[in-house]
Amino acid sequence: MSAALGEIWRNRIFYLFALPFAVLTILFGVWPIVLSIEVSFTASATALKPSPTWVGWANYATVLADPLFVASLGRTLVYTVLSVVANVGVALGLAVLFDSTLLKRGNLFFRLAVFLPVVTPDVAGYVVWRWLYDRSFGAFNAALAGLGLPAFTGLSSPDTATLSLLLAELWHHTGFYMIIFLANLAIRDRALEEAAVIDGADAWQRWRWVILPQIRPALIINTVYALIQFLKTFTVVVVMTKGGPNDATNFVSYYAWQLFDQGRYGEATAMATVLFGLVVVLSLGVFVFGDREAAR
Amino acid sequence: MSIVSKIFGAVALTAAAVVPVNAQQLTVWHDLGDNGIKWFEAMGAEYAKTRPGITVRSLSFPTDQWFGRVIGALNTDTAPDLIFNNYERVIRIETQTGKVEDLAPVLAGIADKAFLGEDDLRVAGFRGKTIILPIQRVQMGFGVRKSWLDKVGEKFPNTWEDAERVAEAFRDRDPDGNGKADTFGFALEAAKPRDLIHMLDLFVFGSGLRHTLIDPQGAIVVDEPAHAKVLEEFLKTYSTYRFVAPDTINHSFAEMYQVIEGGRAGMFRVGDWNVKKWDGANVLAGDFLVGPWPKFAADRDNAVVIAGMRGVAVPSNAPNKALAIDFAKFMLSKAAQQASLDNVGAAVRKDLDVSALSPRAQYFARAEGRLVAYDFPESIHEFYPELEAAYHRRLLAGIANPPADWKPFIAETAKEMRDLAAKLAKK
Repeated sequence: MSAALGEIWRNRIFYLFALPFAVLTILFGVWPIVLSIEVSFTASATALKPSPTWVGWANYATVLADPLFVASLGRTLVYTVLSVVANVGVALGLAVLFDSTLLKRGNLFFRLAVFLPVVTPDVAGYVVWRWLYDRSFGAFNAALAGLGLPAFTGLSSPDTATLSLLLAELWHHTGFYMIIFLANLAIRDRALEEAAVIDGADAWQRWRWVILPQIRPALIINTVYALIQFLKTFTVVVVMTKGGPNDATNFVSYYAWQLFDQGRYGEATAMATVLFGLVVVLSLGVFVFGDREAAR
Repeated sequence: MSIVSKIFGAVALTAAAVVPVNAQQLTVWHDLGDNGIKWFEAMGAEYAKTRPGITVRSLSFPTDQWFGRVIGALNTDTAPDLIFNNYERVIRIETQTGKVEDLAPVLAGIADKAFLGEDDLRVAGFRGKTIILPIQRVQMGFGVRKSWLDKVGEKFPNTWEDAERVAEAFRDRDPDGNGKADTFGFALEAAKPRDLIHMLDLFVFGSGLRHTLIDPQGAIVVDEPAHAKVLEEFLKTYSTYRFVAPDTINHSFAEMYQVIEGGRAGMFRVGDWNVKKWDGANVLAGDFLVGPWPKFAADRDNAVVIAGMRGVAVPSNAPNKALAIDFAKFMLSKAAQQASLDNVGAAVRKDLDVSALSPRAQYFARAEGRLVAYDFPESIHEFYPELEAAYHRRLLAGIANPPADWKPFIAETAKEMRDLAAKLAKK
């Protein structure tokens, strides 16, 4: 105990500077989460009263017995897996392309073009995507019609709505993941690749055994970040589909918000807590797994 | 004492004599935006003529924020003096807080209320309490673009068969004359829970039927022959008839209004609150006719739909409760109702001056059409919102994947709803 206090005292200047940020994090980050979890154990009608009625796990039981929630959770997990793979995969491919000597002319222009959607306001971007998909006047179907191809049902069919959202989100987010990969590629040790060339390694072997291990930190960070981002998918649904058609894009965040909007605070926060738990467990799982692999 | 001090002293004494000692401010929370704020300002000025020193301050919130704030304020004893909104939203406030004052004795004490009909008074009640005083009747008629009708040589559709024929002409005969096949018969919406039911309500009540899903005794009505016919045509309008834009399944009110105001659909819902904007030069410039919803059966009259009632409620923990109740009563006076009609486009009194309004606005203000009211099942069956949400999902599933024959779909839907209603009623 005294050793710990001594350690703190020795680093007192660091803790002094860190204190305001720690207080802000607790106040605006941790405390709302704690309050939200607290609300999930109360009856909705009394949730905002000074002395709410405690209902134990009843809201969780209701939520887990709701087939719409279970379907929404499954849908969210499938969408997350597809989006993480698509975003991280495309970002990695683009980063490797822009880092290579294949694309010398216009390299900066293309980097900017891929990154620009990241700084575009997401609502504005998704409104434009919605118009692109519109079956009456959208550009996609105009192009398909011009080529004599059948129309793309886009957001209006449960069969294609998820894919449509995934493409819009890919456009919006992949530039961010690409920049992380590019930063990691820029600081890698190129001498190792030269040594591999001398040892007779071909291009694939150099990529797989020399470059990829060096960009593992970016891969882990991007995967964890994308996992968190897509598990919480919300804005794109609000703007483009409102959970439809026929619940095809009714992900957990949106479903919880719908209940919140109906004043069903207990169930809504129970859903949010389940999602929060899932985000924490999966993110930590991926992080620990990646860390262990790196340590091998 | 200097002359300046004497003047200040005189002014202070005069002010003390003139300003009443009981100066008070009433606060109202609503979601009517700028028009609502102007309306409350006008009413406040009128009210102050007989109650000197009383001021009225209204705050408008987006609807979803209004809910959160009102529920929070009532539950934490920081309530405003009055709340104003649609009756079903006040029901939700009462459900969540139990702190909406029973206005039954207040309503009983109002002598001048003959203009309130049976339906108007029915929606004011919930769980044995009168939770609102009805202030604004919300009417929804059937609108058609006049220039499009002229272009295709049709008249305002009276029957559903007329409406189908006009819809085909609007879709196929380039009524806007731009040389492109980019117009549709109807503008509807379906995206959010309840949106589809809002549209179905118009077809059902507009055709003269009395219930959308369930009657007051708890019987499911969707497969009754007269009802099933309207429901089938409604579902076909969204799907097989191709009368609406293909993306309508994702359209909410905002997108529906884009379709209407952007000149892409020729037939649509017209709410009394829409007319002022649509009469404007840069919107529809008054190029639309208003009438009742199309007639589905020769032996049943069609109608304009009363789809809701906006009313004023008083929280039981309002800081100035007695004064708030007095102001709520005042909102039914002729002066306050005239201000309502002028600023918001709706009222409940029928003795107001409508001469300054456009013919379309007068149609609503004079209540020229036969009026059929929404059946307000949530005020009878507490489980109704859950039942309706399931019904909405079932209909959307059908529209998303239209069956070859809608009749078995409707029969199966009715059975599902009966099972669910029985289950929910036992809860």
